[in-house]
Amino acid sequence: MSSIASQRAEVECRAGSPLYGEVLEFLYREAELLDSNRYAAWLELFTDDIRYEMPVRTNQYLAKGAGFESMAFFDDNINSLRTRVRRLETDAAWAETPPSRTRHFVSNLLVTQGKAPNEFVAATSFMITRTRGDQGYQLFTGRREDTLRRLAEDSFRIAGRRILVDQTVITATNLSILF
Amino acid sequence: MSSIRSRTRARPSSASSLTQLAEGGRLEDIVRPEEGIVSRRIFTDPEIFAWEQERIFGRAWFFVGHESEIPNRGDVITRQCGLDPVLFLRDQDGVVRVFLNSCRHRGMRLCRTDRDNVRLFRCPYHGWTYGTTGELLAASGEHHYCEGELDKAQLGLIPVARLGNYRGLVFGTWDSEAPSLEEWLGDMRWYMDIIFGRTGEIEFVGVPQIWEVDCAWKFATDNFTDNFHVFHAHQSLVQLGMLPTDPDFASHGHMVTLENGHILHFVPGAPGIDAFQGLGIPKAMWPMFEKNLNPAQAQIARTHGYSAGTMWPNFHWLQLTTAGDMQAAPIGILNLRLEIPVTATRTRMYSWLAIDKEASPEYRQLSYETYVRTFGPGGIFDQDDMENWEECTAAARGPAAKRYTLHHKMGLYRATAQNWGGPGTCYPDSYGEMTQRAWYAEWLRQMTRPTNGAAGRGAAS
Repeated sequence: MSSIASQRAEVECRAGSPLYGEVLEFLYREAELLDSNRYAAWLELFTDDIRYEMPVRTNQYLAKGAGFESMAFFDDNINSLRTRVRRLETDAAWAETPPSRTRHFVSNLLVTQGKAPNEFVAATSFMITRTRGDQGYQLFTGRREDTLRRLAEDSFRIAGRRILVDQTVITATNLSILF
Repeated sequence: MSSIRSRTRARPSSASSLTQLAEGGRLEDIVRPEEGIVSRRIFTDPEIFAWEQERIFGRAWFFVGHESEIPNRGDVITRQCGLDPVLFLRDQDGVVRVFLNSCRHRGMRLCRTDRDNVRLFRCPYHGWTYGTTGELLAASGEHHYCEGELDKAQLGLIPVARLGNYRGLVFGTWDSEAPSLEEWLGDMRWYMDIIFGRTGEIEFVGVPQIWEVDCAWKFATDNFTDNFHVFHAHQSLVQLGMLPTDPDFASHGHMVTLENGHILHFVPGAPGIDAFQGLGIPKAMWPMFEKNLNPAQAQIARTHGYSAGTMWPNFHWLQLTTAGDMQAAPIGILNLRLEIPVTATRTRMYSWLAIDKEASPEYRQLSYETYVRTFGPGGIFDQDDMENWEECTAAARGPAAKRYTLHHKMGLYRATAQNWGGPGTCYPDSYGEMTQRAWYAEWLRQMTRPTNGAAGRGAAS
């Protein structure tokens, strides 16, 4: 990309730009779907070539990097994401029957130009609270790196999602909620 | 259910001080494996939990890790044996060692990352420095010690009393009087050969998934030898067509109980469907079974699609054949599991994937994807299991619940199988609680066996 084009892309991505606002609203609407258990509608937000991954994190010295390893808690494609959603729609997915109540907080959004001209990377911090039955809160925090692909004038699809959790030992019953 | 308080039983009293519970009753009264009776109290009582730390985790052979996790000299991984932090490392001479992860001076943890590669360990507290063989190389400020105050030769890292390695699986024990690992595993090695030696060697893939569940460790342990739960606990997968609709589908196998509490199941795959035979391993690799196993072992490997085994107390294999999603082809996955108790009602779960060293890139990738999608905390099979362990634990705390026992009587009167090709006591059905009863019998044996006090556990200096 020429420096002029790259400068223009940077300006287009800045906080306050139309693109930034559009991405932010897209992420808020996605969180709303998850928090209201509308999983089938949520699934529609993904491209068929989605890779949805949450690598396992290990505790490492700073010089050795962030500690993300060659193992994952999630490494899904569209078929396995669909299977997760179909499972949640049965009446026997006991980990979520009755369902968790979640709140997906998405913040610290930074948008950058992606690899393809019609792709943008939306990096956010997330905090997810989960409560189930009469139990207290389970908390998930981390960074999410989403690749958003513009398919039509006014809509995005999620073509990649990396969920980078802060915990090395997940202090939660399981990971039966969606991130 | 039978009320345990309404019963009085004549029992030998020799071990009574060892097993007399503050809340009343004795261990041998509230756990009677030969009758299929297990009190709910053993899952939540802090006194029993404290006894388990000494009588089980303080002296049983415990799983530390696989050699393939520390391939290079100086590689170190931090693990837990019960409440004790340990170092799993390959020293600078290439020898695998296991030490307590704790400085001899003030007890500071020496390695504080999940893994590292080191030439030595320098304690961040006062600078005591150890070699990878465990010797104390230097205590900083040595000129401040007078003659006779610091005996460095006696202050090396605390090693496990015995270390053992079977097919790359490394175990340790804090009990210097423990039988050798080979003796302890006994006939379990015959079955471990099938799982870990079918194509030569296996290796662990990446790092374990680790998470903490509000459950008693024994509910998870109990679950890993329980085929009976599969149809109901994983009913969502039945509804999605990923498991058969016959409620007895997981019952058509054999279970085996062995000396020292080791237990296992083998369930044959669907006849005529290669994907569910040969432990789910690609058919091109099946000739390797004959090369690496004896004929009886190879026959079991060829004809089964599922196996679960527990190396007593808390380390398990799950060799199973499944699809990772509704469209995918089924493949074999080898999952290793470990439950580390944190408190009576909280457990740290470890889950690893292992794969044949000879695996093709395609089999390796498919096995990995299938494992991640089905097992571990995010797995569509596994996540429902934790629901059961937590709820069973939560419902075992109250005074009313604790008056009642659980029910482990299925198969109490079932005859043994006569034509099974392997060692041990074999039963011709994979639904039944024979393996759980064998597990609890070993638990009771260890929990009622006097500890040697501090002797034999290296408590000196």
